[in-house]
Amino acid sequence: MRLASKKALDALRIEAAAHLFPETETVIAVGMGTCGIGNGADLLYQNLEKSISSYISTRNKMHVRLKKTGCFGFCSEEPMALLRVPGKPALLLNQLKPKDTDRLISACFSPDLLEKLAKSALAKIEHWDFRTSEFNFGSGFPSTPLWNEIPFFKGQEKLVLRDCGLIDPENIEEYIAVGGYDALAKAISGMKGEDIIAELKKAKLRGRGGAGFPTGVKWELMAKQPGPDKYVICNADEGDPGAYMNRNEIESDPHMLLEGMAIGALAMGASNGFVYVRAEYPLAVERFERAIAQAKDYGLIGENILGSGFSFDLSIVTGAGAFVCGEETALIASAEGRAGRPMPRPPFPAQSGYLGKPTTINNVETWCNVPLIIARGGDYFSGFGTEKSAGTKVFSLVGKVKNTGLVELPLGSTLESIVYGMGEGSGSRKRIRAVQTGGPSGGCVPTKLFSTPVDYESLSALGAIMGSGGMVVMDQDNCMVDTARYFVEFTANESCGKCTPCREGLSQSLRILNAVSRGEARESDLSELETLANVVKDSALCGLGQTSANPVLTTLKYFRDEYEEHVRDQRCKAGVCSSLYLALCENSCPLHMNIPGYLQLLKEGRLEESFELTLRGNPFPGTIGRICHFHCKMRCRREALDEAVAQGEIHRYIADAMYKIGREKAVYAKLISEKLPPTGKKIAIIGAGPAGLTAAYYLVRLGHSVTVYDEHDKPGGIPRYGIPSYRLPRDVIDKETLFITKLGAKLVMKTKIGRDLSFADLEKANDAVIVAAGASEDLPLGIPGDELKGVIHGYDFLERLTLKTAPEIGERVVIVGAGNVAIDAARTISRLGSEVTVVYRREKRDMPANAAEIEGAMEEGIQFKFLCAPTEVLDDGTGKVKGLRVVKMSPGGIDESGRRKPVPTDKTELILCDTIISAVGERASAGIAAECGLETQKNGTVKADSFSFRTAHRKVYAIGDIVSGPATAAEAMGMALRASRAIDKELAGKASYDESRFESLFGSFTYSDEIPDEPVGDAMRRAPMIPVSERRRNFVELSLGYSGKQALEEAERCLRCDVGTARRERQYKNREDKRVAAGRN
Amino acid sequence: MDTTMVHATIDGKACEFPKGTSILKAARSVGVDIPTLCHLEDVSENASCGLCLVEVPGAKSLLRACVTKVAEGMNILTATERCMRARKTNLELILANHPKDCLSCSRNGNCELQAMAERLGVKQVRFPRTRVADFVKDESSGSLVRDPNKCILCGRCVTVCETVQGVNAIDFAGRGINSRVSTFLQRGMDEVACMNCGQCALVCPTAAITEQDETEAVFSALLDPTKIVVVETAPAVRVGIGEAMGMGAGALVTGKMVAGLRRLGFNKVFDTQFSADLTIMEEGSELIHRVKNKGVLPMITSCSPGWIKFVEHFYPNLIPHLSTCKSPQQMFGSIAKTYWAEAVGADPRNIVVVSVMPCTAKKFEARRPEMDGAFHYWKDKMKLEDTESFYDVDFAITTRELARMFRVAGIDLERLQDEDFDDPLGRSTGAAVIFGATGGVMEAALRTAYELITGKALPSVDLKEVRGFQGIKTASVDAGGLKVNVAVAHTLKNARIILDEIAAGKSDYTFVEVMTCPGGCIGGGGQPLPVDKEKREARAKSIYLEDAGKPIRKSHESPAIQELYTKFLGQPLGHLSHELLHTKYRPRAGV
Repeated sequence: MRLASKKALDALRIEAAAHLFPETETVIAVGMGTCGIGNGADLLYQNLEKSISSYISTRNKMHVRLKKTGCFGFCSEEPMALLRVPGKPALLLNQLKPKDTDRLISACFSPDLLEKLAKSALAKIEHWDFRTSEFNFGSGFPSTPLWNEIPFFKGQEKLVLRDCGLIDPENIEEYIAVGGYDALAKAISGMKGEDIIAELKKAKLRGRGGAGFPTGVKWELMAKQPGPDKYVICNADEGDPGAYMNRNEIESDPHMLLEGMAIGALAMGASNGFVYVRAEYPLAVERFERAIAQAKDYGLIGENILGSGFSFDLSIVTGAGAFVCGEETALIASAEGRAGRPMPRPPFPAQSGYLGKPTTINNVETWCNVPLIIARGGDYFSGFGTEKSAGTKVFSLVGKVKNTGLVELPLGSTLESIVYGMGEGSGSRKRIRAVQTGGPSGGCVPTKLFSTPVDYESLSALGAIMGSGGMVVMDQDNCMVDTARYFVEFTANESCGKCTPCREGLSQSLRILNAVSRGEARESDLSELETLANVVKDSALCGLGQTSANPVLTTLKYFRDEYEEHVRDQRCKAGVCSSLYLALCENSCPLHMNIPGYLQLLKEGRLEESFELTLRGNPFPGTIGRICHFHCKMRCRREALDEAVAQGEIHRYIADAMYKIGREKAVYAKLISEKLPPTGKKIAIIGAGPAGLTAAYYLVRLGHSVTVYDEHDKPGGIPRYGIPSYRLPRDVIDKETLFITKLGAKLVMKTKIGRDLSFADLEKANDAVIVAAGASEDLPLGIPGDELKGVIHGYDFLERLTLKTAPEIGERVVIVGAGNVAIDAARTISRLGSEVTVVYRREKRDMPANAAEIEGAMEEGIQFKFLCAPTEVLDDGTGKVKGLRVVKMSPGGIDESGRRKPVPTDKTELILCDTIISAVGERASAGIAAECGLETQKNGTVKADSFSFRTAHRKVYAIGDIVSGPATAAEAMGMALRASRAIDKELAGKASYDESRFESLFGSFTYSDEIPDEPVGDAMRRAPMIPVSERRRNFVELSLGYSGKQALEEAERCLRCDVGTARRERQYKNREDKRVAAGRN
Repeated sequence: MDTTMVHATIDGKACEFPKGTSILKAARSVGVDIPTLCHLEDVSENASCGLCLVEVPGAKSLLRACVTKVAEGMNILTATERCMRARKTNLELILANHPKDCLSCSRNGNCELQAMAERLGVKQVRFPRTRVADFVKDESSGSLVRDPNKCILCGRCVTVCETVQGVNAIDFAGRGINSRVSTFLQRGMDEVACMNCGQCALVCPTAAITEQDETEAVFSALLDPTKIVVVETAPAVRVGIGEAMGMGAGALVTGKMVAGLRRLGFNKVFDTQFSADLTIMEEGSELIHRVKNKGVLPMITSCSPGWIKFVEHFYPNLIPHLSTCKSPQQMFGSIAKTYWAEAVGADPRNIVVVSVMPCTAKKFEARRPEMDGAFHYWKDKMKLEDTESFYDVDFAITTRELARMFRVAGIDLERLQDEDFDDPLGRSTGAAVIFGATGGVMEAALRTAYELITGKALPSVDLKEVRGFQGIKTASVDAGGLKVNVAVAHTLKNARIILDEIAAGKSDYTFVEVMTCPGGCIGGGGQPLPVDKEKREARAKSIYLEDAGKPIRKSHESPAIQELYTKFLGQPLGHLSHELLHTKYRPRAGV
């Protein structure tokens, strides 16, 4: 059907619009983009087709039309479908399964079932603004949110994607129905080339391929070239890992691109064009080919379009998928049948392009914006976005983000609003670290810069680029070195090899990055990497090369400490660089304990060795086995099968079993006998908590003379004074701290630096001083009335309880906070007989305390009030607490911590109580830092090098909570471990340091390296607990710990991820080397 | 041509240049030599090496001087820390994956990369090698050796092959660090449509493409007392060997060259120009024969072996247009091993013919299986077995190889006294000399053909229309009422134009000369390097100087040739000529 004029087109539009969502027919539209199909949309479609035909045979009045549409953009909710019953809002249905077919079909006939379906729908659409027409679907389904009220769509502005998911991309009449080709008709019938270009300039449209060159200017250059032998080309060679906007734009609305190119050809006086699309996009190719054929049939391209005399021919060129072919001169070479290698510019394609003719190349999305600009005017378009970056941009939001998909938003929206708003954060407790924009040509933007608006200038100021719109979110499990390495590997492979900086520079950069990720790089390599990146950026011939340095430069700029961690510590905190860890449990453990090792030794019945192995790395196995956060469990690969292995529980079992049979003495004796010869160096440690004692433990064994000073009367720090004994019996900590003194460390208790001893004297008398004074100063509640009698600080309370100097507690106690101190205080006070309510401003799942502790507290009858933020402590008139007023909160959007931000409501509540425990956090005491003359940060923590923990004072080191702020005991001990090595190295004199000194502390164990063929065991074993009924009024340890059988069964669950890893191989090799050196075999 | 001038400053100095001048050229014109390894004036604008970087304040990145045109008001800084650092880094990056065997490399002392490392003050290469595997060295071609390991991917060879020759025998293959210059499907050079012209070797800055070196084999022959080793020297060698020995471009050193060859121990020092005169006799007669008998016209010259192979590969249908005459090199070999062998009573099997050529394709030509006319001549007479067959020409070495032999032997060419070629195969005319330059064969042929047709003396010996470096030259000569339209082309890209015209039936030429290399043999792939237009012009000038100084300037007037016909061949196109001096061609695959 050939349309001979604009009039014929307009007539067809009216006819077609009536068929789009007719008032007599129910329409089910299944999203059939590549991602929908990949998630099973085709199966769903087939099932629906079958069901409908069987319904037709049974009920003749059936009017349900099934159709295929493009993609609505919400990838993580695919397969999606749109169901619209006449008169009702269209329902967006998500995550449909093939078996949902009946539910859908029956809802088409039953208003009740439809209402029910609406409740489970993702959202509803009541109204839609197409290019030339507005469409009202109807109203109803009050409990179903409107599409643009749900986080993923809120803030989106669908201009380019306006038809996607709503029309059938394979049916030109549906495109015409929503206003398709009216812009072309308008341009053809009333506009001159310069009018079109003027409109584009007014729209301030800039190239959507990444560089952002003003499209109007580009077109003007081309228009000036003599014609008509000129070409317009669409660049659909989208090749960034994680980017697929262009694919979807073609798959979902191919005519939009076609129309844009036809208008462009008209404006610039070109008569030929093609779309260069990668062959890996078969569906896009198929749909675009179909679109071309249809447009030809309808006379919308080809000869004498709409009777105007204007002719334009369009075709498709499929590229073999080389990344560099996205660069325009390489694209032209490829389209000409030559190898895709860039040419120097000038001449620019506008002067000499495809086949030497004037050529304009625009990205898919640039072309797609054109019909809208012509239809609604440049001013309409420039009304979106910012002054310099007008309009919207489509991004593919992927990676470690809950809601993945295509988002179209006005330029100038912040990264925050995209990642936390539309993406709703990581969707887990994992912290988001960065977002990578622009693919291999872009950069990694850290979370601290998420308030940056997304526009061309702002992103490039950060060293990233907009690119064609890939946005990859990364969380704490992403290693930034590995990210840079990945992209450089990509660009090094994709480099066409023509120019030196790109070909050779990337190859050398990759070599360095590989070395860094294997822990084989030196610090000088990092500066070399930076130099290389700068030279590549400065001297590569084409865009691929020039921008390929961005991932390296941005990660070096924003995550340099992570590079340094790889180089200086040979560690990859994220657990990605596999050469740098034994197993993910070991890697997550702040002490890097050889967990698979002790599990295996236990399995082999070698309890003593198993204990020895744990003790060598961790002087407090019984203590840590009870109170740790068990970082080891968080990345356990067993979790993918059923549950993580309870490494910590086994750790505790090993210690308890040894202590029970008294065999620890032999191991203690062994370690004492192994102490290295005295070095004559004196070290003072301030603070006898986990950090200080662990440092003492290592340093004494290394032969140094160590004295630990602490103001308390007993060693142990927070575990002793802050953790209730039902969690950590005092005899365990007594035994384990005693071992430190047995090893030869001198403990000077009840001695406060600044009061009993001056820091200056200490510094003078010692070769090194370690400040490990902790962070146990409670933060104030910070609300009116927080000074009233009866308001008690959480940590202070726990400590004074241990010291038996605790203040009196009332009958009804409210605890404010959700960390371990809050729960410890709650369970303690509950044991003392009071009624306890915990108040927390967020939700239960957001609580930072150990999950087991929270469950325990609930079992014990402690009340929790979530989403309640304290606003005022009420006075009973005598200066004593009467109650706590809280405001009810409602969960808002996701914040940087990955949790929903509590938003105050207008509802308040008064909780009557006589005591309030404020456990909202602790901080490092300002006094000790000042006394030691150490520089502190805003939050009161002491500044120290993150690898050696040395402070600005040469001799002074700082470790533990005083550096990190309140953290776990294991983390503090991990710092002690690293600081001890640094101090030993420093005291030995760097040049001659023998690494084996420190390594020898950990001994050498051999055990079987058999990987279980079939994983044994099922869920995690759980240690028996004292029944709730027996917990009142006593502080007996709750957990009875594993039985021997349980411990063994649990150890059997380990998958032995360590076997075959590079780090393990290195350990073996070192051991072999040592054996050979020692003349043993 | 736009004659507008643009104003710019280079390192602070204000200058003006014609619009469209590249920064590189502009800077050179004012005495600032910006380094480059890939740029080659008039040939390659590949912009790949990353050395010619200059800084223009305000530009986002450094600019490549080779392809960036000077713009009005441009402030060009060529020696800032930023560009120096980038240049040196890029050079070190190239060196990282380049073999460090300079001492045993054939380009040792004559390598642009080596010189650049010295020039930019590279004292150590910061980067280790990153390419894992070695590339395969291709020695399959008898003419050229390709060692991609030494390639720095400057692209000059690819460009020369494509834009100068229109052959595309080589192109880039692979990506990233595995990029290399290679052939179709990485076949050996002997299996692809390579013309062996050696223009690639001539522009290569390193030893990635070199001639197949046969100097050791020639030395062995010279040291073998049982062999009679004779040498023939092509016209272009006498204007190239001096240059290769450190004398000025185009230095004409015929006598010194002869003296040097005697010092090397050649038993006889003969001249390919002798057989060039012979070629004129045969070819001129062939032309007249074709004209008179309505044979295939235009007839095209067949002296240039790259060109012959080109027709065989790409225009097999036009083979009948090629003159059946062997090239002078091959005619010499046939005559030396028959006529001369008989004359001196030598066993042809003991004669070793070494040719010194400006050409790498001559090595291929000498080994064409059909080039054994002398063997067939002797086969029955001496009752030889097929296994005893020998080539007419045993070794074809290039000007560069001869220079290498002179250096090995300690021959200081410049100080030698002139000596003369040996009789009789050392005698030649001015017509033979000009074979070395484009248009020379045509001019020489016309000098003789005119007189053979008209029986009258040529009004002027010099046919200036066919001289010079214009790509295609045409002329029309009235030979006693017979209008002879001639065309002369050099480089295969230009040859293609003429062939396409012939194929399309749009050609009204009678006789066409084609030379493979730019400027003809003086710009051959075996000549001294580096070469540029000025050097080619200097060589051509010397060629015409030699011609002008020759007492006899027409081939048919050569007494030595006349004697050859009288004593041995009988007449041009006679039976023996056919057997010894003419040949056949065969179609070859197009890739």
